Amino acid sequence: MSWIDIGALDDIPVRGARVVKAEVGCIALFRTDEAEVYATTNTCAHKGGPLSEGIVHGRRVTCPLHNWVWSLETGEAQGADEGRIATYPVRIEAGRILIDGDAVGKRSAA
Amino acid sequence: MDTAMDLVTENPAKTFVEVTEIWIPEGDRLVLSGGVYGPHDRFAEASRAETFALGEGLPGKAWAEARPVVLKAFDGSYFKRTEAARQVGLTSAVAIPIFAGRTLKAVVVVLCADDATRTGAIEVWAEADGILTLADGYYGAATHFEWVSQHTSFPRGQGLPGGVWSALTPILMRDLGSGYRFVRSESAGQAGLTTGLGLPIPVPGGATFVLTLLSAKGTPIARRFEIWDARAAKTGTRDAAKLVDGICERDGPLWDPENAGRERVATAWEGPIGRVLATGVPVAETGAAAQGYAMMVAMPIHRGGELAHVVAWYC
Amino acid sequence: MERLVVIGAGMASGRLLEHLVEADPNAYAVTLFNAEPRGNYNRIMLSPVLSGEKSYAEIVTHDDAWYARHGVTCRFGERVESIDRDRNVVVGAKGEVPYDRLVLATGSDAFIVPCPGHDLDGVIAYRDLDDTNRMIDTAPGSRAVVIGGGLLGLEAAAGLRMRGLEVTVLHLAGHLMERQLDPAAGYLLRADLERRGITVMTQAATKCIRGDGAVEAVELEDGTILPADLVVMAVGIRPSVALAKQSGLAVNKAIEVDAQMRTSDPSIFAVGECIEFAGQLFGLVAPLYDQAKVLAATLLGQDAAFTPKQLSTKLKVTGCDLFSAGDFADGPGREDIVYRDPARGIYKRLVVEDDTLVGAVMYGDTADGNWFFGLIKDGTDIAEMRETLIFGPAYQGGATADPLAAVAALPADAEICGCNGVCKGQIVTAIEGGATDLGAVRATTKASASCGTCTGLVEQVLAATLGDAFQMPTAQPVCGCTDLSHEDVRRLIKARELKSQPAVWQELGWSTPNGCHVCRPAVNFYLLADWPLDYQDDPQSRFVNERKHANIQKDGTFSVVPRMWGGITTAAELRAIADAADKYDVPTVKVTGGQRIDLLGVKGEDLPAMWADLNAAGLVSGHAYSKGLRTVKTCVGTDHCRFGTQDSTGLGIRLEKRLWGSWTPHKVKLAVSGCPRNCAEATCKDVGIVCVDSGYEIGVGGAAGMDVKEVQPLVKVATEDAAVEWTVAFVQLYREHAKYLDRPYKWLAKVGLDWVQQTLGDAAERTALVERFDLSQTIYQTDPWAELAMREKARAFAPIADLTLEAAE
Repeated sequence: MSWIDIGALDDIPVRGARVVKAEVGCIALFRTDEAEVYATTNTCAHKGGPLSEGIVHGRRVTCPLHNWVWSLETGEAQGADEGRIATYPVRIEAGRILIDGDAVGKRSAA
Repeated sequence: MDTAMDLVTENPAKTFVEVTEIWIPEGDRLVLSGGVYGPHDRFAEASRAETFALGEGLPGKAWAEARPVVLKAFDGSYFKRTEAARQVGLTSAVAIPIFAGRTLKAVVVVLCADDATRTGAIEVWAEADGILTLADGYYGAATHFEWVSQHTSFPRGQGLPGGVWSALTPILMRDLGSGYRFVRSESAGQAGLTTGLGLPIPVPGGATFVLTLLSAKGTPIARRFEIWDARAAKTGTRDAAKLVDGICERDGPLWDPENAGRERVATAWEGPIGRVLATGVPVAETGAAAQGYAMMVAMPIHRGGELAHVVAWYC
Repeated sequence: MERLVVIGAGMASGRLLEHLVEADPNAYAVTLFNAEPRGNYNRIMLSPVLSGEKSYAEIVTHDDAWYARHGVTCRFGERVESIDRDRNVVVGAKGEVPYDRLVLATGSDAFIVPCPGHDLDGVIAYRDLDDTNRMIDTAPGSRAVVIGGGLLGLEAAAGLRMRGLEVTVLHLAGHLMERQLDPAAGYLLRADLERRGITVMTQAATKCIRGDGAVEAVELEDGTILPADLVVMAVGIRPSVALAKQSGLAVNKAIEVDAQMRTSDPSIFAVGECIEFAGQLFGLVAPLYDQAKVLAATLLGQDAAFTPKQLSTKLKVTGCDLFSAGDFADGPGREDIVYRDPARGIYKRLVVEDDTLVGAVMYGDTADGNWFFGLIKDGTDIAEMRETLIFGPAYQGGATADPLAAVAALPADAEICGCNGVCKGQIVTAIEGGATDLGAVRATTKASASCGTCTGLVEQVLAATLGDAFQMPTAQPVCGCTDLSHEDVRRLIKARELKSQPAVWQELGWSTPNGCHVCRPAVNFYLLADWPLDYQDDPQSRFVNERKHANIQKDGTFSVVPRMWGGITTAAELRAIADAADKYDVPTVKVTGGQRIDLLGVKGEDLPAMWADLNAAGLVSGHAYSKGLRTVKTCVGTDHCRFGTQDSTGLGIRLEKRLWGSWTPHKVKLAVSGCPRNCAEATCKDVGIVCVDSGYEIGVGGAAGMDVKEVQPLVKVATEDAAVEWTVAFVQLYREHAKYLDRPYKWLAKVGLDWVQQTLGDAAERTALVERFDLSQTIYQTDPWAELAMREKARAFAPIADLTLEAAE
C-alpha cells in the first residue's frame, strides 16, 4: 500500500463528508466519529447520486437522491435494497487522513 | 510507621460521641437493636426498657419528620430519657433516620456530653431554593465554628456538603484546617478539626439532607473512617461492597491507587460491614469488630431504594 | 557497582527503582535528579488532593526514608543542565555526576496555548503539586476558567468547584472528552458537571487572555468575555525532550526508544511520558508501569520487550461514573451495541468486530467496565454471548434478554413511573381491577401520565399481566431508532427541556449511537424550533438541499434561486442573474410558479462564487430548497389593478421580509391576492390572504401538490397589521406543534381548525407566539449565501484533495 496524505481530519465535520478527486473517479470521505473516517466511491450504485451529500449515521450513509442506505464498512446496500459500492482503505495518523494510493489509482508521490 | 506510639494513644481520654444506639422498627414502634454505651450502664438500662411510637421521643420524631434531628437540651423537651441522661452527664443528641426508599430501616442516635473542651461537629444541612443551609448542628465547644457555619451556605458542588449533594455519595475530606479546600477552613483550623465525613441522608419525599461529621484531633468523632461502595455498579453483584476510601490513624490511608479495581471487598454477612450489607440496617459494635478501637459504627446509605454505600467510623 | 543516573522522579522512574531494588539491590549505585524539590508522589492522585478528598501525605509513594533505605542519592530541586555523552557525565546545576547507564524520565510539560496573555500571572498549568497548591490557595468565590475539557481539565474543574470557586470549562470540540467518549456519554458527563454548578462551554475557542499583569478575563473567538481570576490550561501535554534533543539523541515527537527502552545511545534509556515507541506516545499510567518493568529487566541484563496494550480511562471525580476502553477508530465490519436507561442516567455502548469486543463506553453504571476491558484485552470470542453481552457478566449463562421476561421478573415494589411514584404492584392491581388498556391504567394509577417515558414499561406490565388478552399498541414510531412517535418526541423535548441531540438520544432511549437519516433531520428541527437560543443547528442532520442551500438535481448538480420579494424585481437584479448564468455556464434558466427565476444545472463547487456574485447585486437566497418559507406570491393590487382593494403586493413583500429564513416542519408557501378574483391563487397555499374592501380574509391549509386542498378560513381581520400578526402567529404555532414533514393541511387535519382558531383567538397567546417567532428569527433570519460564500466555509464545497491533478504532473 502507498499511503497518501489528503488532508486534515478536521477538514471534515463529524458526521459530514468531503470529496477527493482521483483517477478512479470521485471518492467520498465520511467522518463517522471524532477519529473515524471511511472512504467509498462518491457515486451511488442505484442512480449515481453523490453520496458525500447524504446524511451520515452510525457507519452508514443515506444517498440524498433516493434514500438508499449504504454500509461504509462493507459497501453493501442496507435493508431491502441490493448492491455494492466500492470502498477504499483509509487511515488517520496524527490528525491527517491518509488514503491508499494504489487502490485509488495513484502512485505515491513520496 | 510508628505503630507502637499510636497504640498507646488508641483510647483517648475523651471522645466527642459518648453513646451510639440503633433503633429499628418492629410493628408500629421503634425498639433498640444495639448500641455502644461505654461506661453509661444506667443509661443503657433505661434505653433497653424503652420503645418509641411514630413521633414519640427523639427517635420517633426523626422517623415521623423524616429528617435528621438535633437536640441540644433535654430539659423540658420531648426527649423521654432525660433523667437517665442527666445522671450520666449526657446533654445533647442527634437522631438520623435511615430510609430505603419509603421504608424506615432504622434510626441512629448519637449522644454527647457537654464540656468546654470537646470540639467536633455533627451538622445537618438542608436544601432550600437550590442552596444548602445549616438546618441544625451540634458543635460542643467549637462555638466560633458553629457561628461561621450558621452563616455559610453551599451551592451544589461546593464544599463538603455541596460536594456530597452533587455526587450523591459519601465523601471523606482531609486536612480541613489547611488551605481553602474546606470552605470554612480558617475557623475549622482554629477549632482543630481535621477530617470530615459527609453523607447524603435520603428521605421519602425528595427533600435533600446532608449530614457531616467533622472530627477534631483531641476529641475525635473517629480515628478511622471507611467508605464502602455497595452499588451493583461497582461490584457487579448486590451482595458485596468495595472499600473505596478511608483513612486510619494507625494504618494510614485505606485506599490504594495501584490496586484500583482490586479493593478490599466485604461480602454479605461477613463482619459488621457484611451485616449492614445483608440487612440494610446500621450496626454499632465493640470488641473484635472495632479493629482494635473501642467501638465502631457502620451505617448504610440507600439510593433509589437500594443499598448504595456503607460508611463506618471507629473510635 | 555500576553507576545509574536517573533524571526525573516521576511515576515511571519510581516504579523502575522499585523493580531494581527488589530484584537486585546491589546492581547499581543510583543517583536521582528531580527538578521538583521533592521525591516521587502519585501524580495521578493530585485531583483528589485538589478537591480535598486526599491529603498530599497520603499520595507520597517514596519518602526520604525510602530513598535513604535503598541508598539512592537524591538531587532534588536541581535541574540537569546537560548530558556529556563523550565523558558519560550528567551536568547538574550543582555539579557533575558520572554514569555507566543513564535513564531519562523527564516526563512531559503542559501544553500552554500560545494565545496572547498566556504568560499573565494567574495562568497556570495542571501538572504537579505546585500547580495544585496554587489552585488550593485561590480564595473561594474566585472565578476560574479551565481551558480543556479532557480528563485533566474536568478533574481540575470539579476540584476547584469543591473548593468554592465559580468554574467555567472551555472545550474546543463538540463534546467533552471527545477522545474517550462518544457524544451521548459526553452529554451525560456534561449534565453531571453542570449539576455541580460548573459551566461547560463546548466549541469554545480561546482568543486571548486579558489582564494587566494578572489575569482578568478570557476572551473567546466569538467575542464572549469571561471574567477570571485564575486560568488553568489543561489542553494537553507534550513530552519533555529538550535535554534529549540537546544531547543529540534521536527525538521525533518524543525520545525514540526500542522495545527494551533503549535510546539511540546504547547506554542511555528512557521511560514514561517522554518516550515514543513505534510512533506512539504514552500519557496514562498503565503503559508507564509496563515500561518501567521492561527497563528494570533490561538494566539487569534480562530479556524483556515492551508491547503497548489497550487502555481504559476513568475520570477521578467522585460521583461521576464513566468508563471508556479500547478502540472506536475505523475498521471494517464493526457493529455497535447500545443500551440506555434514561431514568437512571445510564448509557453503555459496545463496539464489536469479528466476534470480539474492541471498544466500550459506559456512563452511570460502570460495574462491568473491568469485565469488558478484560474481553477487549484478551480478544475473547463473544459470538456465544453477543445477544446479552451488554448486560454484563451477571447475565451470561442461560437467561434471555427478553424485555417482557425482565418486566415479568420485576418485584411488585419496583417503581415503574418515576414521576408519580407508581410501583409495578399498583399497576398490576389496577389491571386486575379492570384497567385493561393504557388509558385506563393511566386514569386509575397516574402511571405514565406525566412525562410519558415509562409508557412502554406500563404496556409491558399490561402485556405481562394480561398475556395474549393485551394487544401492544402500534403507534407509528419516528424510525427504527426509537419506539416513540413524532408527537411523543416533540412533547418530551418540551416537557423535559431536552436541548441537544445527544440529550434526546439519551433521555428518550434511542437504540442507535446517533440516530439515522430519518430521525436526525426531524430531531434537529424540533430542537431548533423549541430552543432557538440554546440549540445550535446541526448541518450534518440536514438533507443535502438544506446543507448546500441549493436543490440537488438528479445528475448531482444544483439549482440556484434568488429571492424576489413578493415577485417584484428590477432591471439591475435581472442583469446580475443573467451575468451569473453566463459566467457559470448555467444550462437552464426557468421562471418558477412562485414568481422568481431558477438557475438549473450549477456545479456544487461553483455555488459559493455564484452566490457571492448574486449577493453583490443585493440578491439573497430564495430558500427554494428548504423546509421553510418559500415564496409569497402576489398580484399587483391597488397600485396598478383596477379591481384591487388593498396593497396586496406591499403586504406580500412585508410578509416575505418577516418570515424568510425561518425553518418550518415542511415548506411553507404564501400568497396574497388583491381581490376575490384571486390572481395570486391564494386559496391553494399554506397561508393565503384574499383582500376585500373591508379587510383581509386569511385562509390556511391549502395545497396544490399530490393532494389538492382549498384553504380553510382562519379569520377575517380589518387591518394589514392584524393580517401580519395572525399569519406570523399561525406559522409559529405550526412550527411548535406539527410533525416534521407534515404540511400545514396535514397538521390541521390532526389538531383541527377549531383548536387553531381558539388558540390564535386569544390575543395574549397570539402576541406570545409572535414574540417567540421573532426571537427565533434573531438567530435564523440570516442569508446563508452571504455566510457560505465566505472563503472558509466555501472550502467545504470543494474537493478536499485532487489526486488527478498531481497524477497529471
